Amino acid sequence: MKFIGRKFDDSTTIPLSSHFPQTVAVTFLRNIHLFIKGVMNLNFPTVEFSWFGNGTIIALIAIVHVVISHGVAIGASTLMVTAEYHAFRKKNLKLDAFARNMAKWILIITTTAGAMTGVGIWFSTTVIQPDSIGSLLRIFFWAWVAEWAVFITEVVLLIIYYYTWDMYKETAKKMKHIRIGIALCIFSWITAAIITGVLAAKLTPGKWTETFSFWHAFFNPTYLPSLGFRTFLALLLAISLVSFFVKWLIKDNKLKEEIFRIFSIWAAISIPGILTTAIWYLQSIPQEAYDLVVYSTGMSEKMFDVINLTGLGVILLFIFWAAIKPKTMPLILSFIVLGASMGFIAEFEFVRESVRKPFIIYDYMYANGVLAKDAEKLNKEGVLTHSTFAETTSVTPDNMYEAGREVYKSQCLTCHTVDGWRSKRALSKRLDGWSEETIKGFIPTMHHVRPVMPPFVGTEKELEALSHYLYNVVNEETNTQQAKEEKEHDVRASAAHPQ
Amino acid sequence: MMFAQALPIPNDIQLPIPGDMGLLTVLLIVTFLLHIVFVNVTISLATGAVILEAIGIKKQSPLYDRMAQICSYHASIHKSIAVVLGVGPILLVSIVYTQYFYSSTILIGKAWLSIILLLITAFLLLYAYKFLWQKLKNKKMLHWLIGFAACVILLFVPLIFIVNVVSMLYPEKWMESNGFFHSLFSYPQVWQRYVHFMLSSFAAGGLYLYLFYTWKRRRNQKQDQNYQEKKADRQIRKIGIKTTFWLTLFQFAAGTFVLFALKREVMLLYMGGNALTTGLLMASIVVTLILLGFLYVTDKKDSYRAFTGAVASFLIVLGLMGWMRHEVREAYLQPHIEDHPRTLEMTTDK
Repeated sequence: MKFIGRKFDDSTTIPLSSHFPQTVAVTFLRNIHLFIKGVMNLNFPTVEFSWFGNGTIIALIAIVHVVISHGVAIGASTLMVTAEYHAFRKKNLKLDAFARNMAKWILIITTTAGAMTGVGIWFSTTVIQPDSIGSLLRIFFWAWVAEWAVFITEVVLLIIYYYTWDMYKETAKKMKHIRIGIALCIFSWITAAIITGVLAAKLTPGKWTETFSFWHAFFNPTYLPSLGFRTFLALLLAISLVSFFVKWLIKDNKLKEEIFRIFSIWAAISIPGILTTAIWYLQSIPQEAYDLVVYSTGMSEKMFDVINLTGLGVILLFIFWAAIKPKTMPLILSFIVLGASMGFIAEFEFVRESVRKPFIIYDYMYANGVLAKDAEKLNKEGVLTHSTFAETTSVTPDNMYEAGREVYKSQCLTCHTVDGWRSKRALSKRLDGWSEETIKGFIPTMHHVRPVMPPFVGTEKELEALSHYLYNVVNEETNTQQAKEEKEHDVRASAAHPQ
Repeated sequence: MMFAQALPIPNDIQLPIPGDMGLLTVLLIVTFLLHIVFVNVTISLATGAVILEAIGIKKQSPLYDRMAQICSYHASIHKSIAVVLGVGPILLVSIVYTQYFYSSTILIGKAWLSIILLLITAFLLLYAYKFLWQKLKNKKMLHWLIGFAACVILLFVPLIFIVNVVSMLYPEKWMESNGFFHSLFSYPQVWQRYVHFMLSSFAAGGLYLYLFYTWKRRRNQKQDQNYQEKKADRQIRKIGIKTTFWLTLFQFAAGTFVLFALKREVMLLYMGGNALTTGLLMASIVVTLILLGFLYVTDKKDSYRAFTGAVASFLIVLGLMGWMRHEVREAYLQPHIEDHPRTLEMTTDK
């Protein structure tokens, strides 16, 4: 494989001079520039979703994916194969038809929205947090390759499973078909077992920050509890998802009873599992993160307890009701349970992503992509000289606004908007009524006042520029808003008082 | 004039690339080819289904309708495999060309993210198209529109990918870059590559149909199929092999346009400037001619041996194309890689 990665030798090479003027002076200047740029990571261009917020884009795609990958690919597949097995043993053709129908919908959902949102998490993090996903890829590359192989197997098995249903009807072949189904469930679970290593490591990289060893990162302190929690929650989520449709669409009472009996067996396994692994998980995360759990959900402590306990209570009520008297269970209850279990999984992901703050990879990289070890250097040399795509590289009295905007793009944009829909993160709301001086005074201390914020990095001048930009951009918004309101008021007033 | 100003090429991520560059590069080429074959088949069969169904509606022909249904059935299966296989090459290109691929991706960030919505929609439409074939028997126009909408999306999405992999080769144009639609017309090579790619898609789809139905016929020789089914199977093989023959012939023109769209220095590497790349191009031309010969004989004589030869030469051409495509990228990026090195070892600087 000599040819790979070789350089073209000089006789055949692309004349460099067409792109790089090769005079000594220019080479020297370029090298100086490269030297100054050093090895910083304020590297990539940025994209701005000004109303939605960049963080929301990732969250939206991720939540859809989590619900499908856990609830449908892992959970519902398990229920489906269990149903097929029961149908086979009891020679229940209706139950078999039900399982077949589930297979069709699992195929449709997982190979469209499931697969594409999975790829989508990756697409969106590449676009919005390139430094973070780029680093994770370097740490976990081979895990991802293994994940990919398992993922291909999973999809191929699912296709075989669904399309051979009618071919493998006879007794001898039916068992073979069920085994394909079991293999499918196992492979679906392995994809979760691999990706959990990556996700859990972002919060608790454990010894990795010292050793940079793959295995330390993968089998990190929250790996096992996360995996257990996800597995059991996947089952519960699937039960509530499918129950809703069973309750709604299946009219045959005997079939319904049969289905709910299967579901309640899995529920009896998963609910204690969820509780145990949740406690284990909370015991394993850093104290700073633990303290942020309730805060990160945006609820008060009391509300947090009430909502979570009610959710749990509703799920328990539903499971017992479904197991004992499925006929009398109201449709609305299965709908509420569907909401509750989606709420739980969303809450778990939300908390996991939020308690990690101000880091995106704990103790290594801040949420905005700045490496913890580079902060000091950036304070001395400034962030603009290290921002590859910034349009200005230094702050002058004439470019305060533009330079400030570049600083904003490199450090704030990942999470904040100027005037987006999430008011907690919209600076026009947070900085409403603040003077430029107040902003400037606050920013260097914000990571003490708000522990979720990464510290500001950059020079004094860059801080001034950022404050100048923020003050103006926020007040532009309110000014135009005010102007609009005044104008509307005038129009209304003049309409009410015709001459 | 680029006077004294370095190009906006980001520094590499500070963690080392976790593997041997040679191995990763080979994996990149191989996994890309695996992925792209399934993409080819998906796009061409979905489009083929829509075209055949339209002919069927116009001619009132159940035969064409049946052939269209066959195409849609295969398209919806292969699209799932195309997507999962696509993860590998993106993983690898992200690792091997982080500095370039991430930059070009972010520069068309919104279009890049739109792929998610576009493909979910297209795939759901493809399923509706396939699963509702009987149900919408009496609403043919509606059914056809579902397939047509899926096709339009599938024919559009490759443009986003092509813009990305082309623009990653031109860091000198990044600062003026202004989103996807601007890039679509401001970077060279994009449309030439698109035509080259589309022709190959339909050629691959045709070959796939011939392959599948040859296999099916050999397996089912003893079983009785009804006449209509047999006729559909036979006819679709014929359409497949003819399509492959004619489109492969057009590829000589399309390939030439791609070659001339490259910047002069790189183009010359393929025209005697470098032994390896020139050799690759020569070999691919020769093997394509052989492929055409095999296809011609297969079509005329229905010869299984000729068909085996056609498949073999097709695979060789595919491999050569993938390799050349990689060499183009290397030729464009080599000077930049020297100036902006990759992180190959863990740095311990503080």
